[in-house]
Amino acid sequence: MPLALHLSELTHAWPGQAPLIHIAQLTLPQGQHLFIQGPSGCGKSTLLSLLAGVQQVQQGVCQVLGQNLATLGPMQRDQLRGEHMGVIFQQFNLLPFLDVAANALLPTRLFASRAAAASQVWGSPLAQAQALAEGLGLPSSLWHQPVHQLSVGQQQRVAAVRALMGQPQLIIADEPTSALDDANQLEFLDLLLSTAEKQGASVVMVSHNARLADRFHQVHVWPTKEAA
Amino acid sequence: MKFWLGLAWQSAWSRRQALALVTVSVAVSVLILLSVQQLREDARRSFSNALSGVDLIVGPRGSATELMLYSVFQIGRPSRNMGYAGFQEIQTMPQVRWAVPIQLGDTYQGHPVLGTTATLFTEFKSQGRGLDWAQGRPFGNPQQNAEALKEVVLGAEVARRFGHALGDKLVVTHGAGGGPESTEHDDQPLTVVGILKATGAPIDRSVLVNLETFEAMHQGWGLGISPHALQAANASQVASLDPKELTPVSLSAVWIGLHSRTEVFSVRRKIESFNRDPLMAVMPGVALDELWQVVKVVENSLVLVGMLVAVSAMLSVAAVLLVAMAARRKEWAILRAMGVAPTSLLGYVLLESVLVCSLGILAGEIGSQGLMWAAQDLLRVQFGVLVQPGWPSAESWLSLAALVTVAFVASLLPAWQAYRLSLMDGLHPPTL
Repeated sequence: MPLALHLSELTHAWPGQAPLIHIAQLTLPQGQHLFIQGPSGCGKSTLLSLLAGVQQVQQGVCQVLGQNLATLGPMQRDQLRGEHMGVIFQQFNLLPFLDVAANALLPTRLFASRAAAASQVWGSPLAQAQALAEGLGLPSSLWHQPVHQLSVGQQQRVAAVRALMGQPQLIIADEPTSALDDANQLEFLDLLLSTAEKQGASVVMVSHNARLADRFHQVHVWPTKEAA
Repeated sequence: MKFWLGLAWQSAWSRRQALALVTVSVAVSVLILLSVQQLREDARRSFSNALSGVDLIVGPRGSATELMLYSVFQIGRPSRNMGYAGFQEIQTMPQVRWAVPIQLGDTYQGHPVLGTTATLFTEFKSQGRGLDWAQGRPFGNPQQNAEALKEVVLGAEVARRFGHALGDKLVVTHGAGGGPESTEHDDQPLTVVGILKATGAPIDRSVLVNLETFEAMHQGWGLGISPHALQAANASQVASLDPKELTPVSLSAVWIGLHSRTEVFSVRRKIESFNRDPLMAVMPGVALDELWQVVKVVENSLVLVGMLVAVSAMLSVAAVLLVAMAARRKEWAILRAMGVAPTSLLGYVLLESVLVCSLGILAGEIGSQGLMWAAQDLLRVQFGVLVQPGWPSAESWLSLAALVTVAFVASLLPAWQAYRLSLMDGLHPPTL
């Protein structure tokens, strides 16, 4: 079974400081979801940067989608992320000067392989975007609205649509629900996880909110005490 | 590339207020620079072409530039005159094909009145072309027909400006007009017998009369006092004047055309060695070059100022983009998250600022041509400069290329900043 993640003795430290991240062993099969729980400021975001290939791996094994990130150059890591991953932030996910549709279609405009994958499964990138939007509960009337007219919940759904465009294998989500109210949090999370599952994508999500953990196949609790 | 162009455009459009202002500042600076350059070139061309048929200008010894300016361009005033005998001697020289006397001093509504002979109409060339008649004919020869003393020929601009037609009567002013001593020659109204076609040369702005007419108007002015003051003249006096007695004593200048241009130096030497009168013979091209040498300092400072203004405008574009950097770090984090490399972001920001500068440069170029087009009448009438709006000249292209280069270099500043910050921030820009 292919692995979405395989981490071993992964260590990361800022220059002159004690290690921020140390993960002895972590393996995530493709298609399963991983929840990383920990308080804010503990290095979760840095871990996501490592997984996404934005930060260079310093020490240890960090295999993402079968690629050892430690051996890839910055350009190759950017390309891996662009072609095979989707990223959702806590908020401000969208380019303010583009409308909803243009934001959602960005990955397929940036990478031809994403557009090709979307077309292969759905007929066209636009068809996939519309199907995803419908599945995530975004009314089609919003399609050509400027993004600042959307509620935070709607903006997060557009971000999810964008992350899932063009059949990525890995979705990296950094506190994607914390800007939402409680009722919305679970609804959004369930939709995100189920949609990703349908596409065969793994979701790796970090959050401080332990209540969300039971939706995931695997939970990695940040070893705060040990790290301190 | 098309995608990035669209994205850069949409991003810039969302900040259009600040960017529009800097675009205008670039446009204005480019307009200044290109206008100065075009005016300089067109002025030079107009001035050189205005003289294309004249081989030598003869006048009293003094400043060559001054002689050329007042005799050809009617800028400034002669401070001394040359004797008429000098003109007669020049006429007899075998190398001289034609010689035209020039008498200046009076004006008509601010336009210079040129006392000369009908030879001017057949020999004068401007922009390489002879004079053509819009209406009428040259003034007659007063030695054969006394009526010719009352005849006047108008340059195209004078006729157009005052709406004169053949048969109109006009009165010229003694001196430049406006001063306390200026007086109308209203005892001697002149009749328009011919109107020249426009040439673009200063002659368009001139009123031309016979040398004898010029002289007749000044009969009784010997003491420099108007005959009105002496109450010594009456309107019928002109008719009674004998044209043969109206030969002037002195002239402002003489224009000469030679049979062969190769003889210009020997003719000049000969004229300058006349022992009756200290004369000077000037080659118009050489005198113009001397003039440009003087004007060059001013021109170059203008171009330099234009350049500096343009550079500062480009820097203001960079400054506006740099100020916007903080707010746009989120934008780059989003693009980075989607796999965009920092080098692509560099190109993206570069594209935007080059776009803004190019738009400003284009607007400045169009504005400068528009300005030239709008001002071409004024420039021709007031300054005798024939501007040619249209495709930029070689020199303007060079400036445009320099401006684009400056724009590019200035754009590197925000682009480099975007690269650096996006690399530093990764997916997590500082929250605002």
